[in-house]
Amino acid sequence: MELVVQGILLGGLYATVALGLSLVFGVIKMVNLAHGEFLVLGGYVTSLLVVSLGGDPLLLAIPAALIVGALAYPLQRYLLTPLMRHSTEAPITATFGVSVVVQTVLLLVFTADPRTLNAPYAASQVEVLGVGMRTTLLIATVIGVALVIVLDLTLRRSRFGRQVRAAAFDPDAAGLVGIDLKHTYAMVLAVAAAVSAIGGALIALSFSVDPVAGTGWLLRAFTVVVIGGLGSARGTLAGGITVGLVETIAAAVFGAQYRDVAVFGALVVVLLLRPQGLFAKVQRA
Amino acid sequence: MTDLTAPRASRAPRALARLARYGAPLLVAVALLASSEGLRLATVNQLTSLLLLAVLAMSWNLVSGFGGQFSLGHSIFVGVGGYATAVILDLLGLPLVVVLVLSGVIAALIGVVLAYPMLRLRGPYFAIGTLGLALAVQGWMLNWDFTRASQGYSIPLDQSVDLLTVMRIAVVLALVAVIVSQLIVDLPLGLRLLALRDNEDGALALGVRRLRTLLPTWAISAFLVGVMGAVVALQNGQVTPQSAFSIQYTLDAVIICVIGGLGTLYGPLIGAVAVFVLRQFTADFAGWASLIEAIIVILIVRFAPDGAMGVLSGLSRLVRRALVRRRRLEASSSTESTREGVAA
Repeated sequence: MELVVQGILLGGLYATVALGLSLVFGVIKMVNLAHGEFLVLGGYVTSLLVVSLGGDPLLLAIPAALIVGALAYPLQRYLLTPLMRHSTEAPITATFGVSVVVQTVLLLVFTADPRTLNAPYAASQVEVLGVGMRTTLLIATVIGVALVIVLDLTLRRSRFGRQVRAAAFDPDAAGLVGIDLKHTYAMVLAVAAAVSAIGGALIALSFSVDPVAGTGWLLRAFTVVVIGGLGSARGTLAGGITVGLVETIAAAVFGAQYRDVAVFGALVVVLLLRPQGLFAKVQRA
Repeated sequence: MTDLTAPRASRAPRALARLARYGAPLLVAVALLASSEGLRLATVNQLTSLLLLAVLAMSWNLVSGFGGQFSLGHSIFVGVGGYATAVILDLLGLPLVVVLVLSGVIAALIGVVLAYPMLRLRGPYFAIGTLGLALAVQGWMLNWDFTRASQGYSIPLDQSVDLLTVMRIAVVLALVAVIVSQLIVDLPLGLRLLALRDNEDGALALGVRRLRTLLPTWAISAFLVGVMGAVVALQNGQVTPQSAFSIQYTLDAVIICVIGGLGTLYGPLIGAVAVFVLRQFTADFAGWASLIEAIIVILIVRFAPDGAMGVLSGLSRLVRRALVRRRRLEASSSTESTREGVAA
């Protein structure tokens, strides 16, 4: 029971972490290898804001999200979208380059030491269903669920959401009816980066971030997306909870050092068991 | 690739060109072996590292450049090769050449076992799947008693190899990698690979079998990288899961191939030299090399997608076109003069 609650709470955090990747993958049909760096960057920017301005890290995660989102917009508009015409590998390679650039810059500026965000509630525990849980994980889950709902509603109800869904469904037709694809794609990456930055702040609050942590988180996020389905905010939540449960249970059974092995192993297994369905979507894109 | 578009020469020069293509690397290798005696130990070590980088990049290029399967899992083979060598030398003490070949074979076998399911994945899924595999394997190795995670597995002192010999092995390995790459390009296998990469549906419709083409290529690539990992282990005198299974090896291969030219024969060589020189110059400023490399990668992907080889072949095309134009001018002026002669 304790494990289940822990796993579900971890899953809420994972959903936040994976939401941006899922959005980009679902709409732009592009694998963003720099996704992990959006997360890490979010953690670092929030931490910088906390140090320079002072205040609650959760509140400061919002301006941090705006900053990271603003960085992501030109990245998509002037680098990645033009590359998509060339081949499918070109944008992947470019995001790989971006991820190395961000990692190295963070290493050069902040050194390799891990960073944590501190808040009065960071170390405290609360009782959930009779199980003692870390408050930060609970907060992360609440924020994660809230983000999922907001994003889901935005995609389904708002004008911007309709444009995004049209662009995802049929880019050519969307372009014909006057949707500015370049702008829409760039906005999607910016929103994804902003959501990821909040995820990064939550990671820094619950665990820690270091300059090269992005790769591991990228794969975790990818596992969530693969399990949960593409471009669906609610699926991402389901995927996040699944991965959270798998990880918590694996850690309890095999030992905490096998967490990563379990998650990445699950990723490989799921990819292999459902290659056709997933593959068909990529080909048509 | 350039071979396909180049104007066809008559048979004799083609055979000569082929001889040169296989002979030149052989000559370079022989020259390196012959002159290696007098080199300083530091130079020997640097040359070894450069050659190993080139081997890694060339092997990755086979699968990912020519084959179009963007593998992010090649670090596994470096680790497997390194550990195979250390363990075999420690427990069995076979002759070195046998150990090296055996390490490559083990890496190839593991490669085939992994690739058989992985190759069902396409495009980005293949990249992410292999990356997940690489990290899962590293996570496992870091916690496995057999790999002696914390202190690593040392090559026994009485079996250790001096650096000069290591370099000579690296020279031979690099030669093998170059020859094998050229053979693959020259053989039908290479054409099938390119066909699969450029138009999978078309290739399949023409009767190209996907697994039959990709699996052998993957095995060859894994073999070469396995031996490369073995030589790395010899060079360092020990293996640790942290370094031997590090995904940095995969990243190096990607960076080198993108800079040199993905899916070209000599791109990985050019890229390896470029990256190596850059790293030598920035050795005192940790981190700057990878920053510069990554920025170059982004710029190349954006502005010169075929890498250094693309730039070179573009230049040579310009020169050739200029030559042809001049020849045509000369030819037309001479025909005009004969016409005048006839009229008179």
